[in-house]
Amino acid sequence: MIDYQYIYSTYNNLPFLIKLVWIVISLLALTIAFMSMYLKVIRHSLRKKREINIKFKTEYESLLVKYLYSGDDSEKTTKTQNSIIESLKESVKVDSKRKIILAVLYDLMNEVSGEMSDSIQTFYYKTGLIKYSYTKLKNKKWHVIAKGIGELRRFRIKKASHRVTKFINHPVREVQKETHLYMVNLFLFDGLSFLDHLKTPLSEWEQIQLLETLQKFENQEICNIRPWLKSTNNSVVLFALKLAKIYNQFEVKETLMELLSHTNKDIRLNTINVLTHLYGIEAKDVLKTNFNTLSIEEQISFFGLLEKLVMPDDEPFIEEHLFHKNFEIQLLALNILKEINIDKYMGLSKLSKKEKSTAMIKSENI
Amino acid sequence: MDTSSVKIILQILHVIFFGYAFAAILSYIILSVISGKETIEYSKRKSFINYKDILSSTISPSITIIAPAYNESLNVVENVRSLLSNHYVNYNVIIVNDGSEDDSLERLIEAYDLEKTEYIINDKIKTQPLRAGIFKSKNPAFEKLMVVDKKNGGKADALNMGLNLSKSKYVACIDVDCLLLEDALQKLIKPFLDETETKVIAAGGVIRIVNSCTIKGGKLMDINLPKSLLVKSQILEYLRAFLLGRMAWSRLNGLLVISGAFGVLDKEIAITVGGYDTNTVGEDMEIIVRMRRYMEEKNEKYRVSYIPDPLCWTEAPDSYKIFISQRNRWTRGTIETLKKHRKIGFNRKYGSFGLVSYPYWLIFERLAPIIELIGLIYFIILIILQEVKWEYAMSFLVLSYLFSVVFSLMAIYSEELTFHQYKKKGTGIKLILLSALEPFALHPFILYAAIQGNYDYYFNKKKKWGNMVRKGLSTT
Repeated sequence: MIDYQYIYSTYNNLPFLIKLVWIVISLLALTIAFMSMYLKVIRHSLRKKREINIKFKTEYESLLVKYLYSGDDSEKTTKTQNSIIESLKESVKVDSKRKIILAVLYDLMNEVSGEMSDSIQTFYYKTGLIKYSYTKLKNKKWHVIAKGIGELRRFRIKKASHRVTKFINHPVREVQKETHLYMVNLFLFDGLSFLDHLKTPLSEWEQIQLLETLQKFENQEICNIRPWLKSTNNSVVLFALKLAKIYNQFEVKETLMELLSHTNKDIRLNTINVLTHLYGIEAKDVLKTNFNTLSIEEQISFFGLLEKLVMPDDEPFIEEHLFHKNFEIQLLALNILKEINIDKYMGLSKLSKKEKSTAMIKSENI
Repeated sequence: MDTSSVKIILQILHVIFFGYAFAAILSYIILSVISGKETIEYSKRKSFINYKDILSSTISPSITIIAPAYNESLNVVENVRSLLSNHYVNYNVIIVNDGSEDDSLERLIEAYDLEKTEYIINDKIKTQPLRAGIFKSKNPAFEKLMVVDKKNGGKADALNMGLNLSKSKYVACIDVDCLLLEDALQKLIKPFLDETETKVIAAGGVIRIVNSCTIKGGKLMDINLPKSLLVKSQILEYLRAFLLGRMAWSRLNGLLVISGAFGVLDKEIAITVGGYDTNTVGEDMEIIVRMRRYMEEKNEKYRVSYIPDPLCWTEAPDSYKIFISQRNRWTRGTIETLKKHRKIGFNRKYGSFGLVSYPYWLIFERLAPIIELIGLIYFIILIILQEVKWEYAMSFLVLSYLFSVVFSLMAIYSEELTFHQYKKKGTGIKLILLSALEPFALHPFILYAAIQGNYDYYFNKKKKWGNMVRKGLSTT
């Protein structure tokens, strides 16, 4: 038998610090006991949740596929479709079930197009799912708002644009990103108009996402990107430069030439790369004149441009940089010289080792 | 010395030990709270990430995977296959055969149809010279692969060779024997592309332990909890370190290390600071500290990023001998790095890096084993002198033990509520038992290895890497 009286009197006789320690020990022991038991509950509920998810997913999937295939050519929903809508209206009211239905719909949305896609949109309206999305937009939590916008994007609800566009400059990046994706997914190049109002930088990740989205669509008729090339938001300029390259925007060459003297180094560097891609021979003289004021990265990029657009009259410039302090430029200059004047290139081998650049020595060794 | 002076000294010692233990526990509590907040935040943000776009994007930044290999003949072919099956468009793989004495190169040549190729190397970082040369595959299916055979110079030297050869913007440095998940590159490149005003100089993810897991064709098929108590304990230790510790330090932008098993670096900065240090056994920590120092001295905004996703699975030592050797090396690496960059410590010029991260590592990582050893010796002396106040000693011992169990349980919770990798029935109870046993199964050996590491650092300078005998992923 546990002698509680003894334990109590021993405890009472302990110094204050030890008493305190034993209180903490008791609390920790209770915490451990609780955590150990609750871990079992968590693991069990996670397993259960997974099973339930699978069960409902299978059920909803078959119902929704039936819904899609029971439509006729008319714009109205059929009797079967209406009964499926009615049967799922109740499920939509339950959070966990709504999530599963949405997940199934997303998958279906990715697999179908045309009338079937419209049919899913009708389902989204008629089951009241759209109301939940709109309610999410009014929520104070950023991740709920972002989810709402995501839903409106996936179900292609163009009508919601006036509600969504107000989040273009939302303080949380995820909300902004969802807004931008909504615009571009639904309005393609016209959707890029958000760039005119963007006050925050557009991350490289988001730029990639937007470009990938644009490239998915059949309509590749790009709008005028000139205003974005002149934007005061540097990330917008960088994004526009990517557009210029991907969509071969020869008509903006003049604006690109202006960007060669932009204050931002990344913009200047990317402009050289875009001009290289667009055969911007006009850039050659400007860059040659300013060559010594350029950063090493810009100088390397310029030699990349020369490699593509070299002319015989560039030879003196190339020769001048055969002994540049940067190895990459030495190598590029050497390769360009080989292309435009093989005799002169061969003549370099006669130089003594001391007179040769590192690139010359290394090139000979291979 | 009279009795009262001895008593005062003893009192001071007690205060030091108590203060240290209290500060350590307090710091763990603070780190756990921060990590909890960060994990919740990360989970919310993660639900909005769509990795599909980066998969197909041709404008995604280029990444070079650099994998040094030394006498890895047993698994090298299989491991390279795993590296080549990553789901990312713009990447290539450089295997640096660092003077292996086995038939690694021959096996690679045969398996991947390699032929010698001429290549101009820009020696931005000095390395050991090439041996057999550089090889590329004749088979277009393996066009991403380059194999470099060089004279032995150690892991750091091999990584430097890879840095010299890489033409990518980012380099992913990985141990060739690690199993890289297919989505690892897309996940780890994201932090670099996400920041708009701060430069991300390095990023790391969670390293998991692969022992007892089922692997087929270089892919992880089934995750199991190993039977060995040592390996299981390391799993728990990794969970604690990655899900609690690093997550919190990431939030504070105070990470001093990205695991050498897998991490991505900004190549330009890595080269500018001189690449990996070949004179340390803790090259993974040292380069991060040096890159951070460089950015601080340049006064540029930067981050060392970390994501809690499991990206890379590695084999953990399954014998105490190898385990001690590994931890001995880790200890020496930490000492070397902290000593080399001692200028940073407590230096206001380096901001929170100098005032928080460095001091934390110095006090709670570098000095912890020494203080613990002194404490143990002191405790033994007190026992001999019959001066131990057992009610104090036992109470604090139980308290510290329970704290360690609680922290382990918190790490398990974090794992269960986020990634839930150990799904099998019965694993939960095993993990709970493990959290109770781990302080006895692992900690004494970590302490021993750390003390040995300190001894080797000061008195056995010749000691370098030590051997890591591997069983190989394909046979795991």
